[in-house]
Amino acid sequence: MKFDISYIFDALPRLLEGALITLQVAILGFCFSIILATFITIVKTSFNSRIFNGFIAFYISFIRGTPLLVQIFLIYYVLPVFGLNLAPFPAGILAITLNSAAFVIEILRGGLASVPKGQFEAAKSLGISGYALWWKIILPQTFITSIPPLVNEFTMVLKATALLSVITVVELMRVSQQIYSANYHPVEVLSATFIIYFLMCFVVSRSSVFLEQRFKVKRS
Amino acid sequence: MLEYQIFFDYFPMILLGFWLTLKIVVCAIALGIPLGLILALGRRSNFIPISFFATSFIELFRNTPFIIQVFLFYYVLPFYGLRLSAEYVGILALAAFGSAYFAEIIRAGIDAIPKGQLESARAIGMTDWQSMKNIILPQTVSIVLPPLTNQTLTLIKESAILSTITVHELTMTGLMVQGETFRPFEVFIMVALLYWALNETIASIMRRIEKRYSRNRKQNKIVRSKIDIIKSSGFSR
Amino acid sequence: MKPNFLEIIDINKKFGNINALKNVFLNVSKGEVICIIGPSGCGKSTLLRTVNWLTPPDSGKVILKGEIIGSDTGKMTFEQNNSLNAFRARIGMVFQQFNVWPHLNALENVVRAQIVVRKIMRDEAEKKAIKILNEVGLKDKIDEWPDNLSGGQKQRLAIARSLAMDPILMLLDEPTSALDPELIGEVLSVLRNLVNEGMTMLIVTHELGFASRFGDKIVFMDAGEIIESGPPNTILKSPKTERLKLFLEKLSLTSL
Repeated sequence: MKFDISYIFDALPRLLEGALITLQVAILGFCFSIILATFITIVKTSFNSRIFNGFIAFYISFIRGTPLLVQIFLIYYVLPVFGLNLAPFPAGILAITLNSAAFVIEILRGGLASVPKGQFEAAKSLGISGYALWWKIILPQTFITSIPPLVNEFTMVLKATALLSVITVVELMRVSQQIYSANYHPVEVLSATFIIYFLMCFVVSRSSVFLEQRFKVKRS
Repeated sequence: MLEYQIFFDYFPMILLGFWLTLKIVVCAIALGIPLGLILALGRRSNFIPISFFATSFIELFRNTPFIIQVFLFYYVLPFYGLRLSAEYVGILALAAFGSAYFAEIIRAGIDAIPKGQLESARAIGMTDWQSMKNIILPQTVSIVLPPLTNQTLTLIKESAILSTITVHELTMTGLMVQGETFRPFEVFIMVALLYWALNETIASIMRRIEKRYSRNRKQNKIVRSKIDIIKSSGFSR
Repeated sequence: MKPNFLEIIDINKKFGNINALKNVFLNVSKGEVICIIGPSGCGKSTLLRTVNWLTPPDSGKVILKGEIIGSDTGKMTFEQNNSLNAFRARIGMVFQQFNVWPHLNALENVVRAQIVVRKIMRDEAEKKAIKILNEVGLKDKIDEWPDNLSGGQKQRLAIARSLAMDPILMLLDEPTSALDPELIGEVLSVLRNLVNEGMTMLIVTHELGFASRFGDKIVFMDAGEIIESGPPNTILKSPKTERLKLFLEKLSLTSL
């Protein structure tokens, strides 16, 4: 057998459609994970409850200590046992969200640590608290300093979505498998898929520099 | 509602999968770290074809999902006439994936050594490789050890993906047991706990080593020389 | 005519648009001590670093005992690279920032290159290292780690490391500039011994006192060029050029 480039061109339209789904899943999962992580971070810092913080530490350790694939299986196979039947797509998003949130919490913790303590005190002495304190003062600073690790985390999420193919979410990886199981040319189809993933991740990871620059200008 | 019987009945089988996971990861690291070192030195090379190849390899493997790398290895190797069992394909894929990350860690470690160290080695007549081996790499080891350990933990987790090409490691075993018992909760919790325990064990050992190292850094020379032995055995031989 | 011990012929080096070295010629006889002075950024360190090809110049030649260390532009061949390492092994170099190897103890700092570069047996190398460490006054620091040494001790260790290679030429790049004033003396006294033993040396230095007492010749550089050179008395007492006069005035002002 020879490497036949025509199979790549035949597969390309469907692969690109799959890439769009991949982006969709990644963006959705990442947004939910940021929301969840931000919420947890605020609760953690504001209430400083030992039980809550202990639970979060346990959750982070579990997520970081076990393979995402196993987490996906846990959610996909175990939730129905409790009577919660999720379709592959929402189950996949849920798995990505729960996984990524654990990492984003750690990133935000780092970002928060770089916000000077005096900012909290200054705000309090001015009578700013609660919603305004977080939304107007603390979070913007936290997120701006966290841009590079957050961009990195997004590429992680982008790569992680490929695992959802095992629970039949029809994203890029799954589309690619469908194509080559029909035309029996896995090498060509997988090579094309590989390149598409590379381009997506490479562009995203290089955008970190651009984003940093942009927000620096805005700040000054 | 938990069926405890499953834990007892299937634990030996699961443990067998765990053992294969361990073996695969150890082999992948044994292959991946030397390969990573070669890639790191290649990327720093002044000879453009070599640095281009090393850079491409590193960036390609770092910017794509491991699962597609696994499938590519699985189909591409036989395409070019190399027929290996799934386990060996898995080890090769995991080693290649890991080496790209190892390479970047080692490169960062080398860059962290002050320039004068290499200059003084070159000025006294050492070749590039002699300077690397005697002066630069031994100093790099203590810098790269924590991130290398972290990357090892990642490899353990990523090895679960080898289940998709039917390597009978821990996750695959879990899937098989779940297919027999239809008790996903018990099975996957068991699998997850094993991964978690392994990760935590390695992480805590590493933390202890790091702590001791930093505490004794400026202390007596016996400890320092012991560290020196650990360091030099890590790389120069 | 007897060939010179070390000949530096028409060296040019640019860093970007800046002329670090411009048409530099310098002849050194055996046993001569040359002190190179000049304002910072005048190219004196670069000159020193071209002698052992650590910073390859854009053009020019360096000849040691009639053999070419390096010449011309572009890449050197494999054989040239090998002979370059052999040259470097015989040319000791001492850096401003010491550059001792922190992962090796004092003894091993002196031993390692002997074994790796000159393929000497460990016993012999250690014997020699102990003898030299003794000479530079580090006898009781043999097992010490560089982190635990003072700046002056580190620099003496760096000198010992070079001496263990039996150098026929020493290059010293501001050997005392990174030292606290009270530690300069101990390093200078080691250097004085080297002068008395007849070592050929090129020293980039700000220590005019040392230069005038032990230098056979002082070379004044500015903006990548050698402006004046001659015996210490003429250079320091009756400078011919305006630039050297200015430089000496500034230096004497700061040392007052």
